[in-house]
Amino acid sequence: MTEILSALAAGFSGALSLSNLGWAFLGVTLGTAVGVLPGIGPALTVAVLLPVTFSLDPTSAFIMFGGIYYGAMYGGSTTSILLNTPGETGSIATAIDGYMMARQGRGAAALTTAAVGSFVAGTLATMALTFFAPLLASVALRFGPAEYFALMIVAFTTVSALLGQSLVRGLLSLFLGLALGLVGIDPLTGEARFAFGIPQLLDGIDVVILVIGLFAVGETVYQAWQYGREPVEVVRLHDFTGMSREEWKRSWKPWLRGTAIGFPLGVLPCGGTVIPTFLSYMTEKRLSDTPERFGQGAIEGVAGPEAANNAAAAGVLVPLLTLGLPSSATAAIMLAAFQQYGLQPGPLLFSSRPDLVWTLIASLYIGNVMLLVLNLPLAGVWARVMLVPRPLLFGGILVLASLGAYTLNRSMLDLALLYVVGGVGCAMRVYDFPLVPAVLGLVLGPLAEQHFRRAVAISEGDLSVFLTRPISAVLLVAALLVLLGPRVMRRVSVANSNAQSPMPNAQ
Amino acid sequence: MLALLLVASPAAAQPAYEHLRLVAPAAPGGGWDQTARAMQQVLQRAGIARTISVENIPGAAGLIGLARFIGAEHGSGDAAMVSGLIMLGAIVTQRSAVTLGDVTPIARLTGEYEVLTVPVSSPFRTLDDFIRAFKARPESISWGGGSAGGSDQILAGLIADRVGVDPRRVNYIAFSGGGESLSAILGGQVSVGINGLAEFAAQIEAGAVRVLGISSAERLPGLDVSTLREQGIDIEFENWRAVVAPPGLTPADRRRLERAIEAMVRSEPWRETLERYRWIDRYLAGAAFARFIETEEARVQDILAKLGTGRTGERTLASAGPYPLIVLGGLVFCAVAVVFRRARRSRTPDRGTRNPGLAPVQRSGWRSVALVAAGAGLDLVLAESAGFVIASAVLFWFVARAFDHRRPVRDALFAVAVSTGAYLLFGRILDLPLPAGVLSGWL
Repeated sequence: MTEILSALAAGFSGALSLSNLGWAFLGVTLGTAVGVLPGIGPALTVAVLLPVTFSLDPTSAFIMFGGIYYGAMYGGSTTSILLNTPGETGSIATAIDGYMMARQGRGAAALTTAAVGSFVAGTLATMALTFFAPLLASVALRFGPAEYFALMIVAFTTVSALLGQSLVRGLLSLFLGLALGLVGIDPLTGEARFAFGIPQLLDGIDVVILVIGLFAVGETVYQAWQYGREPVEVVRLHDFTGMSREEWKRSWKPWLRGTAIGFPLGVLPCGGTVIPTFLSYMTEKRLSDTPERFGQGAIEGVAGPEAANNAAAAGVLVPLLTLGLPSSATAAIMLAAFQQYGLQPGPLLFSSRPDLVWTLIASLYIGNVMLLVLNLPLAGVWARVMLVPRPLLFGGILVLASLGAYTLNRSMLDLALLYVVGGVGCAMRVYDFPLVPAVLGLVLGPLAEQHFRRAVAISEGDLSVFLTRPISAVLLVAALLVLLGPRVMRRVSVANSNAQSPMPNAQ
Repeated sequence: MLALLLVASPAAAQPAYEHLRLVAPAAPGGGWDQTARAMQQVLQRAGIARTISVENIPGAAGLIGLARFIGAEHGSGDAAMVSGLIMLGAIVTQRSAVTLGDVTPIARLTGEYEVLTVPVSSPFRTLDDFIRAFKARPESISWGGGSAGGSDQILAGLIADRVGVDPRRVNYIAFSGGGESLSAILGGQVSVGINGLAEFAAQIEAGAVRVLGISSAERLPGLDVSTLREQGIDIEFENWRAVVAPPGLTPADRRRLERAIEAMVRSEPWRETLERYRWIDRYLAGAAFARFIETEEARVQDILAKLGTGRTGERTLASAGPYPLIVLGGLVFCAVAVVFRRARRSRTPDRGTRNPGLAPVQRSGWRSVALVAAGAGLDLVLAESAGFVIASAVLFWFVARAFDHRRPVRDALFAVAVSTGAYLLFGRILDLPLPAGVLSGWL
């Protein structure tokens, strides 16, 4: 413990030079700015900035990368909350209640809880990274295909069962996403499925298209349709002062719970930050005394997922630094950046280049503080976006959405898909189907299928592998409870009241 | 050769290219992207090109990039693309319409050897142990490696073929990328790992995995690992990467690129790059490289046919067969359930309170939606012909009109300002590829 602390202190002394603070600030600013854009994720940002850092010494370069990484993770939440346009999958959960809050004029409070929550979670998770990285990495290795499949089933069932007004509507949305996920090359055999001979479809439908289409374009079409029906512009009270005492009280527990959920799940390579953010959202809804406020602008629904998102982002660094395993696209680029400087992350990195590793970890702390300093005063400023007249706001959103969709692969097909998905998204809103299960189905569906088939192939076709491996068995039972639990409880309580009424003195 | 060098050396003083465009037909982070970015760095530093841009066109193991490169760059003297063995595998498995025969081969650059690894706790101490178990019950051995039809699976098939096991019986578990398969090997989820050396080098040095064999012809200096060949499996195999040029090049343009690449591989920075990434120098140019592609294509075709990738016709749970049926079945089932419930609810009197969105639709609502749809349609038509700025301004104006039709002039001004601003910010400053269209001379 003491040696870790002294190593960390040495790391801080390396990172806390004026020029390095400058690089950290630059990284955080660039990362936030680019994270705001839908479709341009942290991976592309780091890749584009890689050549810029050729001339820097490795310490400064990593400090900048750390800033970009956390900054991009945070930047996505701003557009989710204000424009209902999640830039990447990790901020979808934030959009559900954050956007409702913004529409009620409490955008500044939502942005503040996101900023403080990200800071709390980022700092706690970086601490966990500091002290438990090797231990966590060895636990993560116990997860094989069967366990990952079970984990994804948990994500599917919780989201479809708890979001939206009925299970079957949630499931329909989920299966829609799963069906879209079938398109493209089957990664286990290399065979193309449902691509209809169109080469752009060989890699499947990009999830960013679905997210921007369903949320941003769908929202625009829906609002246009609504507006046509009720042309009165509703003037709302706006409050740019940040969070009230009551909101602080409601936020701090979700921050901590989000961190506890996000960090360990971030260590596992399972589709990035999607699962942790949604599990955090569901947990908050479950634990709340007033679950009906969720989806109507509950601050807990912003605080929890935002914390989980940032904690998971720190968790991703655990396998990268200790095992050399990149478990997200951004981590893969960071790995390339390490190699650029002749470093091979892996079991030997902590002993071969401790100076660099500890400087990187120290710079993550610094980056977190900088993010807070940068974003807290800006929350009120950004929230004023809601005052822009609606015609101009939605015109701008569509221009931004089309730009993000086109630059993704420079493909007109993506742009066309974006508008089709937008129409579908509007229809789903009108007929009251939840949007999120569809996105989850598209992101996790192909992964779940692959893990299932890998597990079955390894066990030579024996399906019992999902129940004989303890972690996977526990997860599957949990999924079953989520799916059937509420119904069984209702039956039991109905049966109890029936049983009790004729014989009140049976006990 | 001497003449080439003599011509190449003055090129270092005067850059051969003002601007060279490199295409990496993959997402950032992978081997092709690394190769392209390393080339960018070295060519610039050696003064062979003044500026170089790298463009990522990811998708379908490089096939999207290949198709676009052939289509869009025909005859361009200042463009080149990174390619390699994995693209050859994808061409074969996807029965691609475009092949490496459609581009101008320039040179093979690097090679990466493959290693067979097992976790330290594995019962297999040597390659012999492993091969014996594999021959006894082929399906019980799971081979973890990279994507299907890629170099890892090709080598697994070659090994099976060489030891007398039908390659179809190789229980190959494809993971996406070296990272995922590495964690499966470290965690003991698969029996054996088959991967590129570079991805595993750190684990091998740390003693976290045991190496059963390496696919090089000779033992590598500084790595105490015996080759497959010296253990009785006569295979030499590498995952090679190369650079190709567009079709329809003039002989002068072709020579210029060949010389630039030759000067690059002879430079000191390139040697340092090879060392850093643990790539092996496999420079091979001209007609010899063209012949090499032909023999490799035949070898890949042969082994992939034996492996039976692509359509297998098998319908086990591990194959692709049943999964789409499950998903589509679930979709239909849920849709029927929703329709059924609605039909039942519509017969009960208290309907309508739960779904506020289902109130009678007024015509004015549809007018707004039609305006948005018109804007989207015009955007699709105009984006590549008239350019981003015009298309986006039209889109903005239509959408704004959908919300408020009273101030067309204000909306038009904002439409022009927003789309021009977005183009300048993202297209010019951040250098994202946006179509400039008819205004390209103005902006």
